[in-house]
Amino acid sequence: MSPSNKNDQLDLGLRKFIKDLGYIAGGSVLLASTPWLQSCTPEKLEEIKGQKARIAIIGTGSRGVYHLHNLLNIPHAEIVALCDNYPPNLKTASDLCPKAKTYTDYKKMLESKDIDGVIIATPLNWHAPMVLDSLAAGKHTFCEKAMALTMDECKSIYDAYQKTDKVLYFGMQRLFDEKYVKALQMIHSGLIGDVVGMRCHWFRNNDWRRPVPSPELERKINWRLYKESSAGLMTELGSHQLEVSNWALKRIPDSVIGMGDIVFWKDSREVCDSISLTYHYKNNVKTTYETLISNKFNGMGEQVLGNKGTMELAKGQYFFEDAEPAPAILQLINQMESKAFSTVPIAGPSWVPEIETQHKPNYVIDGPISINPGVSMTGVDKDGSDELISAFCQASITGERAKNIVEECYCSTILCLMGNQAIEQQKKIDFPEKYKIPYLNF
Amino acid sequence: MNHPYFNYYESSSLFHGSLLSIMGTRFDILFVIENKATGEVIWDKIQSELIRLDKLFNRFDPESEVSQINSEACLSPFIVSSEMWDILLSCKKYHQQTNGLFDITLQDFNKVLLNHKEKSIIFSDKNLYIDFGGYAKGYAINKIKDILVKNNVQNSFINFGNSSIFALGKHPYGDCWSIGIENPYQKGKMLGEYKLKNDAVSTSGNMPSNPKHIVDPFTGIYNEEKKMVSIITKDSVDAEVLSTSLMIAQIEKKEEILHHFNTSEIFVYNL
Repeated sequence: MSPSNKNDQLDLGLRKFIKDLGYIAGGSVLLASTPWLQSCTPEKLEEIKGQKARIAIIGTGSRGVYHLHNLLNIPHAEIVALCDNYPPNLKTASDLCPKAKTYTDYKKMLESKDIDGVIIATPLNWHAPMVLDSLAAGKHTFCEKAMALTMDECKSIYDAYQKTDKVLYFGMQRLFDEKYVKALQMIHSGLIGDVVGMRCHWFRNNDWRRPVPSPELERKINWRLYKESSAGLMTELGSHQLEVSNWALKRIPDSVIGMGDIVFWKDSREVCDSISLTYHYKNNVKTTYETLISNKFNGMGEQVLGNKGTMELAKGQYFFEDAEPAPAILQLINQMESKAFSTVPIAGPSWVPEIETQHKPNYVIDGPISINPGVSMTGVDKDGSDELISAFCQASITGERAKNIVEECYCSTILCLMGNQAIEQQKKIDFPEKYKIPYLNF
Repeated sequence: MNHPYFNYYESSSLFHGSLLSIMGTRFDILFVIENKATGEVIWDKIQSELIRLDKLFNRFDPESEVSQINSEACLSPFIVSSEMWDILLSCKKYHQQTNGLFDITLQDFNKVLLNHKEKSIIFSDKNLYIDFGGYAKGYAINKIKDILVKNNVQNSFINFGNSSIFALGKHPYGDCWSIGIENPYQKGKMLGEYKLKNDAVSTSGNMPSNPKHIVDPFTGIYNEEKKMVSIITKDSVDAEVLSTSLMIAQIEKKEEILHHFNTSEIFVYNL
């Protein structure tokens, strides 16, 4: 697929969806419920036609290179600089993008006047210093999730964001994944009734390791496994899912209890390979979060449980509890929900009633749905990551900040870190007063 | 089991109520109402009315009034409720207007004797029974329409098993309700499109899963034509009666029948 084709595809997905929202009556209301998408409408993209954001990447490991591939397909982006302190990774990236200047010291790179936006894809302990330095250097900044390794660091980033006028994005790609955006709108419109619970899980069966060429590189390459550089499965996987949970509930949990251990991968790693947590919201709704990396049967999923139905977000499917609305009636409802009008095929000789014994899925999006099986350690296609990076590049040109992304990432990261505290201290952890920000309700 | 279900969609002020098994089919209603609580009150009234009418018309329910008629009227005059009396008179009228093709006895309505003085019914044939299958849904829709109008609902879509539809007012984002009719023998193939505004639609016909279920009262033979008839009128009972009658009527009788009705549109599909 040529780059331009790929971008057309991108336009067909989320951007087309945003465009449709703009055309239909009340679209602005719907767009208001996803304010981070307002800065990347197709009209705004048209305004910057021909311009290119000059992008630098810090951290050219697997995720950095994944972004690099997406960037190569984005017409309004140009990769001008690459930085990594691990030479093999820097070379891989440089081979893919020979025109970009290479650096081994990110601070040196930040001194360059020829960079508009910086993408950070480094180990978690590096997020805070790099984000803060990048913003201080006057660069628009994108950083992978989670926000940072400690709550204090998260707060420093949040505070710095309040003081700067620069753009700051975090790798919360579900916010840009069409099937999530649509599904959450359907949930908020009452499709599955009141949200009464949420189950999130991420199961894999692998050791979460990368091959290490020589033993002294163990902590550098397998940074995810050590507490000095990683908060483990919570920040690496759970942060996405807790973000979605808050999005669905329009609230932030007030406390968490749970357990975590090393069950299977007893290989001198410091972070858990098995975690079970329960987050409590003030309205008494609970979100369970479970992850285990020695059994992959259940894969990855986020189920929003409503008193009328269940939404399987990762699969883009929903199910009704009892009577399932007839297909044509559902089509009429969906029409009205999206303020559209067209003919529904409903008339016929007679209806033979079907009493379902098994739940039949309904689909959030017409046509093929890209489902992330949760196996990849780098990223998958069409999970919103490409739209997210494209939107960041657009913002690096316009300077328009995207609402809510920093706040969403901040809250989910604090919740992940609270989860780890609950595991370590073996007690219920309340959301610390000190880290509450004026965003969403508890 | 009725499997009652309802949901309210805040952003479009849309109430959806559904009964999965009522009058032998499925019932769905959509109506636009400003608040959920009012919607629930209206839905309660609609549900009770449907359950009441199911009790009145269901000949398989031993406690229904029609069951009592069917078991008693072959022996001695059975005094009916005033509502049932009016229904029987209307069925008699329709029997005449359709040259005998609409017949709740499925055999010979002339064997039903109505005593106007005491409002009683007696069958002159011991094997006779009555069946409101081709009437009840239209009657129920008219009742529901009354409930909606009384409660100031302006826009609503009522669907009784796809074969009986009533569209009150218009789609909130259109100037009417627009529905399509599918060929039951070719999934996905649309035969036509109807624009409805305060209109009833009734469709009769055979389908692969149910190839013969409409009987000609004169011959006693089930119609097996691959054919479908849709009627659009203002009155739901008229629509029901006509769609069944025209499904079995000889071509030359059609004009004569239609003469008695204010029909807006008739669609006959030979499939």
